[in-house]
Amino acid sequence: MDFNFDLIIESFPLLLMGAGVTIKITTLSVLLGVIIGLVVGILRICTLKPLRILAMVYIDFLRGTPLLVQIFLVYFALPVITGQRVDPYFAAIISCGVNSGAYVAEIIRSGIQSIDKGQMEAGRSLGMTWLQTMRYVVVPQAVKRVIPQIGNEFIALLKDSSLVSVIGFEELTRRGQLIIARTYGSLEIWLSVAVIYLVMTLTISRLVAFLEWKFNTSRRSAA
Amino acid sequence: MIDIKGLRKSYGSNEVLRGIDLHVDEKEVVVIIGPSGSGKSTLLRCINYLEQPTEGIISVDGTVLDGETNINKVRAEVGMVFQHFNLFPHMTVQQNIMLAPMKVRHVSADEAAIQATSLLEMVGLKDKAMSYPEQLSGGQQQRVAIARALAMRPKVMLFDEPTSALDPEMVGEVLDVMKRLAHEGMTMVVVTHEMGFAREVGDRLLFVDQGVILEQGKPKDVFEHPTAPRTKEFLSKVL
Repeated sequence: MDFNFDLIIESFPLLLMGAGVTIKITTLSVLLGVIIGLVVGILRICTLKPLRILAMVYIDFLRGTPLLVQIFLVYFALPVITGQRVDPYFAAIISCGVNSGAYVAEIIRSGIQSIDKGQMEAGRSLGMTWLQTMRYVVVPQAVKRVIPQIGNEFIALLKDSSLVSVIGFEELTRRGQLIIARTYGSLEIWLSVAVIYLVMTLTISRLVAFLEWKFNTSRRSAA
Repeated sequence: MIDIKGLRKSYGSNEVLRGIDLHVDEKEVVVIIGPSGSGKSTLLRCINYLEQPTEGIISVDGTVLDGETNINKVRAEVGMVFQHFNLFPHMTVQQNIMLAPMKVRHVSADEAAIQATSLLEMVGLKDKAMSYPEQLSGGQQQRVAIARALAMRPKVMLFDEPTSALDPEMVGEVLDVMKRLAHEGMTMVVVTHEMGFAREVGDRLLFVDQGVILEQGKPKDVFEHPTAPRTKEFLSKVL
């Protein structure tokens, strides 16, 4: 068995650039996911039944179909309807973000439901609307409580983002494939790719643990 | 100030309130006592629509509560104090008090802060403005909750067993604030187990049992000459 260390060293800058792209699309997707998740998560438990059903359909569809198929839908099927080519970068972020939104919505919902119902009653008894009480009283406490789960979602999405390599978007996995196509160094490159993913996910999980610790030791922590 | 006619409330087949008629005058202090499960808290919570009546008409300050009424407008006029305080744990004491006036009454931040300071002074917690609720004792938290409700300048204050979750030595400080409110002419409806408070501060005492007002009158009269056997039995246990 030949193990070519030089190949790893040579390819490393290219792979790191891919890793940078991976972090970028993951971050943007999670941001989009959190925004969607907040809205859908709140709709999921709001008082209007049609909105609740709409939120449930969204969540069921995106969690019940493979992300890979969703990527194909955005990249290949959407242009059939619109007649316009979809930019791979746009397709990657939209499909990952919209998918992540469904998972974040469930996280947010569970967070909101874990907040004592006396908080909503107190807000409403002061004359605030349901939405005002959600916004200023319930959601801030819920979000603080679900930070670890959002962190896990970030990690899951960072790994799942490797799927966008299939539409030719040059993130870490795609970079690896391209280098292998040129050099045939499957062992060296896939190992390197795996290690880079591992370093990224471990870093994030430590970061999340730190954030959690910081929130719990601050006086602002929810009782 | 409050008018209740034929109020009924059921949870499924369980009828908690079985026909309540009640009128509360302006500046009147009405104290509701009764065994647990009698429906006294439900009655109180119907007054600001935290519970929707199954039947009956409730009006507050001339506004009839129903699906069409702007319920938030009525609630802004009706302050409520809960057994478990329900302060907002992620906000300072001052922020707790300022939130609703700013969001509902559109009071400026400066004005709300000034008001918060004077309310905290009134409940004896001026130095706790920047504290978080978890840093306060139960008695202090409940006094903040009263200040928070008063910040909306309500016409009526509802108290739902405000001292039941407190350690005994903290009951007095909360009752003192309530007494002061009563003396200042606030219209109050108080569900409580504090018989001393009922006798001293209440203009009228209601004994509620199994979803109906079984007996009412001046606290002194009800305590000393209860007419219904159930009232006698209850009072003999709590006095």
